[in-house]
Amino acid sequence: MNNRVRELRTERSWSQADLAERLDVSRQTVNAIETGKYDPSLPLAFKVAKLFELTIESIFLPEE
Amino acid sequence: MRAVHKRYLREFWPAMAAYVVLLLGSVWLLRHLESTPLRVLATLVPVIPIVFVLRAMFRVIRDQDELERRIDLESIVAAGAVVGLGFFTYGLLLSANVLPQPRAETVAIWVLPALFFCFGVAKCLVGRYYRGR
Repeated sequence: MNNRVRELRTERSWSQADLAERLDVSRQTVNAIETGKYDPSLPLAFKVAKLFELTIESIFLPEE
Repeated sequence: MRAVHKRYLREFWPAMAAYVVLLLGSVWLLRHLESTPLRVLATLVPVIPIVFVLRAMFRVIRDQDELERRIDLESIVAAGAVVGLGFFTYGLLLSANVLPQPRAETVAIWVLPALFFCFGVAKCLVGRYYRGR
């Protein structure tokens, strides 16, 4: 699954550590999501969407 | 370091220190005790702090975030498979009398340390995979 997490984070000038703190996860988890190594669970995806004030489907995109 | 890992270290190190102290005490006592019930007691007392180490591990796994939990799960599965297969293979070789026969207690005592060691190695490798790219 592709996602726009890195793009949305850098738009806000947040570091990975800043985002991790806001989501209450480790920086490693943020990095793994951004690099596509790990797809977050639905509750975490909702948390990300709520934080960026967007819908889940506008952040997480199925691979073509 | 996240709060959950700080708590883990706060729980882990005192338990390990207690284990070392009790183990040394147990070894010393076993040289001097002759009564069987007392020898059993002296032998088993060092197991108590290990229970607290395991408790600390369960608590950190439960309270970590989902990726950390996945890394631990994949690592413990890999470690269990390697240790299980390793001891199984060793047992087959022993039963074929192609290796020197060890004392049974030596083999039994090394199962848990082998599992912890393999878990540590697996965790480094699995963690590196998720960090990669």
